Amino acid sequence: MTQPLSEPTLAIEVSDLTVAYRDRPVLWDVDVEVPAGVLMAVVGPNGAGKTTLLKAILGLVRPAAGTVRVFGQPLKAVRRLVAYVPQHRDVDWDFPTSVLDVVMMGRYGHLGWFRRPGSRERALALAALEQVGMRELAHRQISQLSGGQQQRVFLARALVQDARIYLMDEPFAGVDALTERAIVKVMRSLRAAGKTVVAVHHDLQTVREYFDWVLLLNVRRIACGPTNDVFTEENLRQTYGGRPVILEARRT
Amino acid sequence: MGLDDLIISLLTDHTVRIVGAGALLMGITSGVLGVFTLLRRQSLLGDAMSHAALPGLALAFLLTRSKESAPLLLGAALAAWAGALAVIAITSYTRLKSDAALGIVLSVFFGFGLVLLTVIQRLPTAAQAGLDKFLFGQAATLLQRDVATVGVVAVLALGAVGLGWKEFKLLSFDPAFAGVQGFPVRLLDVLLTSLVVLAIVAGIQTVGVVLMSAMLIAPAAAARQWTDRLSTMVILSALFGALAGIGGVILSSVGDSLPTGPAIVVCASILVYGSLLFAPGRGLVWQRLVTSRRQRMVRALRVLAQLYWLGTQHGDPLRPHPAGALRALVGPDVQASLRELAARSWVRRLDDGRVALSPEGLAVGRDFLVETEPVLAPGTPESGERTA
Ligand SMILES: Nc1ncnc2c1ncn2[C@@H]1O[C@H](COP(=O)(O)OP(=O)(O)O)[C@@H](O)[C@H]1O
Ligand SMILES: [Mg+2]
Repeated sequence: MTQPLSEPTLAIEVSDLTVAYRDRPVLWDVDVEVPAGVLMAVVGPNGAGKTTLLKAILGLVRPAAGTVRVFGQPLKAVRRLVAYVPQHRDVDWDFPTSVLDVVMMGRYGHLGWFRRPGSRERALALAALEQVGMRELAHRQISQLSGGQQQRVFLARALVQDARIYLMDEPFAGVDALTERAIVKVMRSLRAAGKTVVAVHHDLQTVREYFDWVLLLNVRRIACGPTNDVFTEENLRQTYGGRPVILEARRT
Repeated sequence: MGLDDLIISLLTDHTVRIVGAGALLMGITSGVLGVFTLLRRQSLLGDAMSHAALPGLALAFLLTRSKESAPLLLGAALAAWAGALAVIAITSYTRLKSDAALGIVLSVFFGFGLVLLTVIQRLPTAAQAGLDKFLFGQAATLLQRDVATVGVVAVLALGAVGLGWKEFKLLSFDPAFAGVQGFPVRLLDVLLTSLVVLAIVAGIQTVGVVLMSAMLIAPAAAARQWTDRLSTMVILSALFGALAGIGGVILSSVGDSLPTGPAIVVCASILVYGSLLFAPGRGLVWQRLVTSRRQRMVRALRVLAQLYWLGTQHGDPLRPHPAGALRALVGPDVQASLRELAARSWVRRLDDGRVALSPEGLAVGRDFLVETEPVLAPGTPESGERTA
């Protein structure tokens, strides 16, 4: 195949990334290329460094070595283009605030220092809540949400960031089938709008159905590419350390 | 002295007014910053920091040999900051967990401060007299100049919270997300911690280093009980802090040997316990009431279900049944449940002691049975056997 004159744009390009929290590296010499416009799953066992990879892309952990480029630029220059859906367990849901308030936090970066959210931010937040099917719960206290609803609040918060890349950490963890379908729908509409979605995913059974691109990760990059080429028994065995993979599929 | 005399003297007395102003400023500042400390789960850090202020005070006195409040408070602020840095350093460069780091910093700094205080007491000059008021606070010795200093500190701290409200809120709820959006998380953290230092400094003369942390916890903890909005919580916490401050000053001016710090903390504790018990929604009493009401309701619905079932067995749902038969089916507390049902007119109690469903009760019974079929539907082995 001949290369086009200009390289197809990479949404994210991670090169030689090595991260260690203490002495043992959690990510070792990882290269990842995410083409723009794909829906990519990050797959690997617990402790494989999936969350760490997302955080490194977002500049939340400092790598020991390696670089991250977003649309060919260092992250600092294009921060607004990257949205994040953390694991919903990451925050204290007893914090005194409402669903709408949390979603509006996705606009804080655009507002910049000191400017307070106003009616425009409110409207955007309500629209995003509508998109994830949570509009009626806008004024609910966040402690009164189920795990699936918390996840959707975080998704809505990322939507109002109005980014071009969406990084999601286990968006389906602990959600019911209905919520899972709602989240998949949002992901697909993001891709239809030309956005790039990268999601940590644990359910091997649904990878082919949901994602067109896959990264298999276990400290090292095992494989990365179109799902059909990369999501093979052999690669999965390598990713999960030679253990039978179908059992791994049931873990959450 | 009667109560009205006391109040009049409190309102007109120059000293009391100054002292009251000091307590008010202290209460508001620590109330506001305490909310963030509490929500970020850093109450123990606040405790370590306020204890750590003591050696700073003592060193500042040794250097200046004066009890002018500005340099003393500067010393206190620097030492409190050093304490916070020491906690961070210990947790990031050793394998010790943060509770150990907090304990170490608190005891080492505070112990050193006590040693310095002892040294100061032995100095030949008279200037050192009363420096130990910084342990438990003695508002009565506040001068107008001191209150002015505290006022500047308080305005700085509160102004900064108002300015960076959105940023501090985000930092407290989800610091990683603040970082994702390009806010300098480390800097915000340093800023907010500095504001807590200011709050400690604002209160240290009134409350003292030992009990200062209570003022960073109590008003905020009390306020949390009453609201689910951050802004309301901050305002309430400021109010509670001010109330405790003023209340404590009055208490300690009535009982004349009582240091202000403990008196203020007593008032703050009353607010906390009152809120923990009685706040609607979160208060224990409230929750107990709601739970027991729910329990009663569920028990009553069980009785209703039995009536409904008995009725359908006999082909007439509204047919009266002897209360005794019900007792055999659902247990001894059937009377309470019947009262509950009668009060809602779901059940009619006949003069001969029999009871019957009302048409409304019948409708409720149907709904309830449809909803809870697997659990409460009659015909479960237990009830079925006994009536077969
Ligand atoms: N903040 C941290 N400090 C120390 N070790 C960490 C930290 N975060 C993660 N780790 C370790 O790094 C490894 C990878 O973690 P993570 O990226 O969360 O994996 P995954 O998301 O794939 O389950 C794990 O062994 C975990 O224990
Ligand atoms: Mg993870």
